[in-house]
Amino acid sequence: MLINGRKGQQVLMMGNEAIARGALEAGVNVVAGYPGTPSSEITQTLARVAPKRNLYVEWSVNEKVALEVAAAASFAGLRSMCVMKQVGVNVAADFLLHLALYGTRGGMVLVSCEDPGALSSTNEGESRLYAQMMEFPLLEPGDFQEALDMTRWAFELSESIRNVVMIRSVTRMSHASGNVTLGELPERTARAYYDFKGPLLGDMAGPVATLPGTVDFMHRRQQEKLKKLEGLYDASPFNTYTGPEGPELLVITSSACHLYCREAIELLEVSGRVGLLKLGTTWPLPPRWLESHLTAAEKVLVVEEVLGCMENTIKAFAMERIDRIGPTAFFGKADGAVPSTNELNPDRVMAAMAGILQITPPGLAPEYAARAAEIAKTGAPVRALTLCPGCPHRASFWSIHQAMAMDDREGFVCGDIGCYTLAAAGTGFHALKTIHAMGSGAGLASGFGKLAAFGFHQPVMAVCGDSTFFHAVMPALVNAVHHRANITLVILDNSGTAMTGFQPHPGIGVDAMGGTAPALDIPDICRSMGAKVSLCDPFDIPKTRKTLLAQVEDTDGVKVVVMRQPCALSPQRKHKKGFRMSIDPERCLGASCGCNRLCTRVFKCPGLTWDRENDSARIDEVICAGCGVCASICPSGAIQAKEDA
Amino acid sequence: MEQHENLGSGQEDLKRKVLQNELCTGCSACVHLCPYFEHYRDKTVIVHGCDGTQGRCYAYCPRTPTDLSALQKDHFDPKDLTPELGAVKSLLVTRAADPAIRATSQHGGTVTTLVRLALSEGIIDAAVLAGRKETFLTESTTLSRPDEVAARAKTQFVVSPTVGEFNEAAGRDDARRIGVVATPCQALALAKMRHRPDPADAEKVGKLRLVIGLFCGWALSWEKLKPLLEARIGPEPIVKIDIPPSRYQCMEVTTESGRLSIPLSEVEACVRENCRYCYDMTGEFSDISVGSARSPEGWEVDRGWNQTLVRTPLGEQLVGLARSRGVLEVKDAPPGALAKLMAAALNKKRGCLERLKEKSGRPDDLIYLRAEDPVVTSWLEKV
Repeated sequence: MLINGRKGQQVLMMGNEAIARGALEAGVNVVAGYPGTPSSEITQTLARVAPKRNLYVEWSVNEKVALEVAAAASFAGLRSMCVMKQVGVNVAADFLLHLALYGTRGGMVLVSCEDPGALSSTNEGESRLYAQMMEFPLLEPGDFQEALDMTRWAFELSESIRNVVMIRSVTRMSHASGNVTLGELPERTARAYYDFKGPLLGDMAGPVATLPGTVDFMHRRQQEKLKKLEGLYDASPFNTYTGPEGPELLVITSSACHLYCREAIELLEVSGRVGLLKLGTTWPLPPRWLESHLTAAEKVLVVEEVLGCMENTIKAFAMERIDRIGPTAFFGKADGAVPSTNELNPDRVMAAMAGILQITPPGLAPEYAARAAEIAKTGAPVRALTLCPGCPHRASFWSIHQAMAMDDREGFVCGDIGCYTLAAAGTGFHALKTIHAMGSGAGLASGFGKLAAFGFHQPVMAVCGDSTFFHAVMPALVNAVHHRANITLVILDNSGTAMTGFQPHPGIGVDAMGGTAPALDIPDICRSMGAKVSLCDPFDIPKTRKTLLAQVEDTDGVKVVVMRQPCALSPQRKHKKGFRMSIDPERCLGASCGCNRLCTRVFKCPGLTWDRENDSARIDEVICAGCGVCASICPSGAIQAKEDA
Repeated sequence: MEQHENLGSGQEDLKRKVLQNELCTGCSACVHLCPYFEHYRDKTVIVHGCDGTQGRCYAYCPRTPTDLSALQKDHFDPKDLTPELGAVKSLLVTRAADPAIRATSQHGGTVTTLVRLALSEGIIDAAVLAGRKETFLTESTTLSRPDEVAARAKTQFVVSPTVGEFNEAAGRDDARRIGVVATPCQALALAKMRHRPDPADAEKVGKLRLVIGLFCGWALSWEKLKPLLEARIGPEPIVKIDIPPSRYQCMEVTTESGRLSIPLSEVEACVRENCRYCYDMTGEFSDISVGSARSPEGWEVDRGWNQTLVRTPLGEQLVGLARSRGVLEVKDAPPGALAKLMAAALNKKRGCLERLKEKSGRPDDLIYLRAEDPVVTSWLEKV
């Protein structure tokens, strides 16, 4: 459908699919990214159709390299796109700064899909400020049609100003769906050629480089590019206004908040009093168009996620023109009308509007609300985060936790980003004691591992996944080895980038487009760095524990333990049970086991349940993945694993 | 601290009152009852939290509130009870008749001889014994053949997880009558276990048939002992460690290259903190207790003999059998030997009570002992 849909056809599309289609309609040639929710589908869907569309799609090792890969294509005159989640922009930021300073050649678009409310992240950071700070254009689609149209246009925009253009989406835009009318898929042939012959300060030819002494010229040129956009933005169809001419309250919004505002206005029935101004070109601001609307309003409510980026720039904008616009009362994050953290929704926006307009928002009838709360308690109970049944991380952390407890020197584990991040919770026995960014576990451990000189006695462990290893851990590991940090790095190799949808990475023999690729060997790399490397199968609990105990006892430098076992949802594993699990009713002593339900209370694999009627453990055959690990943890040997033919 | 009979509390209480209170003896009675405790490198550790409010771990621990009178009533004839040494039917000086056994033993080889005999006679079909592991650690194993015993002969100065091993062995079908060689704290744990076993454990605990206690002044912390020994003897394997009578003020370490003497003051710095709160020098809750001999003949002779306290009818039966089979040589204890032993034992009790009161901060709070316990008051009369 992504490539078969014809011009004029109306389809139901996810925001990410619409962005992908928009890029195809712009004739994009190179797409690079790193998996990150809520962005991954863009790169994934394009990878699937790549062979049919003269398209090269790559899962790069990290977002900085992805941006560099996309930039190379742009310098060679091709159209390219780079896709990531909000934190990826932080990783790419160093290169982005230089890229924006010099400029691009073929149209280049950076798509950042962000996560207000941290539905699938460990933070709700923002990348919109990069556009202001590094001075390049920012676009935010406010509905699904715009997701397509804006992306298609962004390449054109990029070529007109010869700079990267950022499109910012959020979960509720990327992962929600709406009606989209498709455009035309071009027949574009592109020829890549990097024209480095020319003056140093040239635009479309010459080296793409800056040097001290040239920066002032480049920087002024960069700022002039942005200035040129003002007229373009003033006329852009992506900036819309609906509402009365002189509204009592002007609501300024962008992105998914646009949809919440429309709902709120409808539910409050205030379309006669409230004007809705939706910005699609959010940086730089469209000056004359915005000024005309601000002049017509005395109260302005800015609705955005998460930080008050627009609120601040619009306030400054209004202040500069105060003699023409007149004083304006601003509402938003600063005065608390809109929450400063978490994502917004129609209820929160209604509350803000109702407060300003001094009306009561329609709420749930009290009996209904009470009944709903009651039903939710049993019908939709709050559930703990959990690793999948059969997840090798559960087995790995079982051994890690045991080993650290037995070692009894208050050892701890520095965590990292992936499915195994959940090990900070009960599902991983609360093993992780720090969690920050990709690669931070090893980096922090490298630091902790040098504190013996200050009386530090605690064993230090770090964990990372196979994808995280390539993304960011390698430099930290080099640091640790070179500085002789006393640490153990446990690499949880489950053969893929699992958390984001099991994408391949450089350790896997397959690339984004499904072709074969050389697989880099993680133990070899660690060995050649000079670390002491052991391998184990996390499903072999006694051997894994023994290996870990030996590593933490060794205080000399860096030890690496690679725990290799494929993810339960990997292509090799999915739908295949290694064992048929069962409970021997003679051996399971139920509540009188004296183990206080170790299996369901502590180990907590979803495939194990407690049968209260029969006072016994039970295997849920539908959920059980047949990994066999629970058989090693039952002290009575009541859990039986029979090899499944 | 509560002053009442051990009604049972759970893991959390055990952790606060014993493990984190420097009282844990390392006896490992709490290990292998459930999956939540492990013994590793001379430490008893909690691996997972258990939210149980009543547990066997707490009930069997020798350092949770203990009713010594009730325990004595379980095992001993009241006529045999002495305040200083517990039950005493007789004090003997003994050694293995077989010189080969003596050559590989700590002193007289009495324990090795009695355990071998108990196995070969079928009094027991399994014996839980401590032995050395690498880097000065210890481990306890369960043996069933008499010829396997001599290899476990020497004294260990780092506590071995014997009761944990008993817990595991008792759960197996192949061991039905178990004998344990136990330090005083381990013997006390076994007595508490037998006194009020959890119904789920009754069968397992019922398998315990013979306890041979060891005289003990204190045990050493592996964490502190290891660097001390490594500095003195390097990586050479140790053949034997011994502590001669106090007038020698030293610890003897024998390796393949020879015997080295370490000043006792350096060794005393390695004593486990919890041993300061132990009252029992002779392993009172056992059928027979064995230690090294003391006599006017002097250490060069005494070091080849044992002092043996016989406490129960089973103890008498076993020693009598050993004598009649000619595997155990017996001398009469020299005059005054019993009095000397009692004085030494009472000294340990005196020190223990003082330190318990200091720890609790109250003269009537003896932490795991009851001040009103007739057994305890009987010491106070003597002290």
